[in-house]
Amino acid sequence: MAPQTSLTDTATSPGASGHTPALPSRRRRSLTKSRSALGQVVVAPALLLLTVFFFLPVALMLWMSLHKWPLLGKITFIGLGNYTAAFQDQNFLRAAGFTLLYTVIMTPLLLLVGVALALLIRRPGRAARVFQSIYFLPVVVGFAAAGYLWLFMAQPNLGPLLDLLSRAGLASHSDNWFGTVVGALAIVCGMVVWKVAGMQMLLLNSGLQSIPVELEEAARIDGASRSQVFRYIILPLLRPTLALVLVFSVAGSLLAFDQFFIMTSGGPANQTITAVYHIYRVSFLGFQLGYGAALSALLMIVLAIVSAFQMLILRNSDHS
Amino acid sequence: MKRNRLAALAITAALTLSATACGGSSSSESIDTSSGEPTGTISLWARDSQKGFMDLLANAYNKSHKAQVEVTIVPSANFVQKFGTATAGGSGPDVASIDLVYLPYFASTGVLEDITDEAAKLPYKDKLSPSHQRLSTFEDKTYALPFTAEASVLFINKDLFKQAGLDPEKPPTTYAEILDAAKKIRALGPDTYGFTMAGQCGGCNIFEFTPSVWASGGDVLSEDGKTATLDSPQVTDALTFYKEMNDAGVMPEAAKTDSGTAQPALFQAGKVGMVVLGAFFTQTLNTDKKVDYGIAPIPGKTGGSASFAGGDNIAVTAGSKNKAAAWDFVKWATDDEAQTILAKNSIVPVRTDLVESVYASADPRNALFSKALKTGKTPYSVVENQLFNDNNGPWATMINESVFGGVDIKAAQKKAQDASQQIIKTGP
Repeated sequence: MAPQTSLTDTATSPGASGHTPALPSRRRRSLTKSRSALGQVVVAPALLLLTVFFFLPVALMLWMSLHKWPLLGKITFIGLGNYTAAFQDQNFLRAAGFTLLYTVIMTPLLLLVGVALALLIRRPGRAARVFQSIYFLPVVVGFAAAGYLWLFMAQPNLGPLLDLLSRAGLASHSDNWFGTVVGALAIVCGMVVWKVAGMQMLLLNSGLQSIPVELEEAARIDGASRSQVFRYIILPLLRPTLALVLVFSVAGSLLAFDQFFIMTSGGPANQTITAVYHIYRVSFLGFQLGYGAALSALLMIVLAIVSAFQMLILRNSDHS
Repeated sequence: MKRNRLAALAITAALTLSATACGGSSSSESIDTSSGEPTGTISLWARDSQKGFMDLLANAYNKSHKAQVEVTIVPSANFVQKFGTATAGGSGPDVASIDLVYLPYFASTGVLEDITDEAAKLPYKDKLSPSHQRLSTFEDKTYALPFTAEASVLFINKDLFKQAGLDPEKPPTTYAEILDAAKKIRALGPDTYGFTMAGQCGGCNIFEFTPSVWASGGDVLSEDGKTATLDSPQVTDALTFYKEMNDAGVMPEAAKTDSGTAQPALFQAGKVGMVVLGAFFTQTLNTDKKVDYGIAPIPGKTGGSASFAGGDNIAVTAGSKNKAAAWDFVKWATDDEAQTILAKNSIVPVRTDLVESVYASADPRNALFSKALKTGKTPYSVVENQLFNDNNGPWATMINESVFGGVDIKAAQKKAQDASQQIIKTGP
């Protein structure tokens, strides 16, 4: 229920603190009251949407997770049975492990590319804006469309990517990169970096712009080198933005599904099945909605813990 | 906060109750054929691959009947989920055309209407495809009628056969002969392959790979669907044979990770000498006219042949509000007129008494499909989807690991056998 509290807080705070102390205290109180009522009215639609599209589904999911709940047929209450089964489900544990591996690879990769791109376009002039747009373009392509695009480009015997490489003498055009875990993972990571780095760049760019130029100039005058300015001035001031970008990319990686579903079908030999992919299989190929709900609940808990941890870092780094 | 949570709980409980109530929606009203010609509008769900002929059928029916049928096309990949979810929520169609392998599952969950008595009255009941009928039966009751047929066969590229010095009129009849022919075709050039498979597609391989096992006298599942036989020696032989082909380099690199798209494309492009596919593929090749192809039965290890009997069954749903009209359409769909329309659109009809005259006569190659209609096999299981059609399930994994993964075949079989048995035990 945290989002609601914070929303109400921001809506009522101007009325509570920002007003003239000259008013008689009773009037002030009634004003505060009516402001707070207004705040609740303003918040109500958002709360309603949140309830219908988030709290209720989550409640239903938790309820379902306590049942043997087939798509069709009899529903039986089994308590925590689904949860105990999840911890013995080798396929799920393997999928969770792979998801972690993917997140560990993806997060620094995206961050590095994002920071590099943001620094590249951090200069005035039209050229920088043009490149900024170019780097951002892949972000507007749908995830599924991007997946199919890269799948086609890297198809053995058919794809232009392999054709180019074989002309350059770097690979054979009948090579199948999807045939090994490393190759398949590399192509998926390449696609995701291409697709998502632009967004990271944009967020980091706005973070960079909020750093006063004077600070950098002062450091330069004091004799700081470029790398020292980056290390001691830019990076610390960028930390809140970095944390935000990290939360986004970690959450995105932990919930990865489409890229693997489309590009690798979980292969080769089921080695690229993510947690969400496994939940999809359980729910919609195995029709065990209750078990799928339990796995989703577990994933939600992990995601909440990771995000909370990252938020904590964000708060500690913000000195204001 | 507390009130909110209570409200949420109340709503959840209400949702759950309504979902539960709809879950077993088998309305008590049964098919009433006594009151003359049925009227009203009924809805029919079919998959996108059937769009072409479904519209023709609906038009033909609507012209000559008081009752009207409306066709809704659902994407093939989501049909089972969509149909299941809609039926569970009480918003399903009156009639559904369902891939026959899913029939036992849907019949077992009570979402299909029991049509045992009505079906028994059909004059041509015994002339309908036996495999389709077996799949429509659950605990001795009939839940659907056969609708369209499909069969797997071995396609050969005649030009490549000739170039490799092989006789295209004498297609291979044993594993060894296929391997030999594939090697000769592979030797023609770096871009020519002897054979290809969809190495990462469970549904493709139940259609294409299992016939090799059947033709050698084995099976992948017991007759009642209660016991998996993935560890049988015939499965070992078939896996070993495919592995030998891969080791000999006669298959393209793409085969290992093909989820079913590259396989027909490669044959169509004239790059592959042999491939196992179905009657649907003849349509593509006939329109395309690029490849001079022949078709042959899928051989077993030392001879024999077998085919997968695929296609669709058509059923009245238990939740239908107009069962009289729904049954009328289902009955009509298996009648001469409808089956002839199917045959004209290159769909194999399900009537063994009609298939020769309306289908096989059109192209001499079709005779093989009509023969397959009578002898084709289909695995029967309420968990077919999890066992075989799941691209990451035990079946697909066993084949991929054995043929391409370099793992011990017997160990892969054992793993798949245990996993399958576990799925069967847990049930849908």
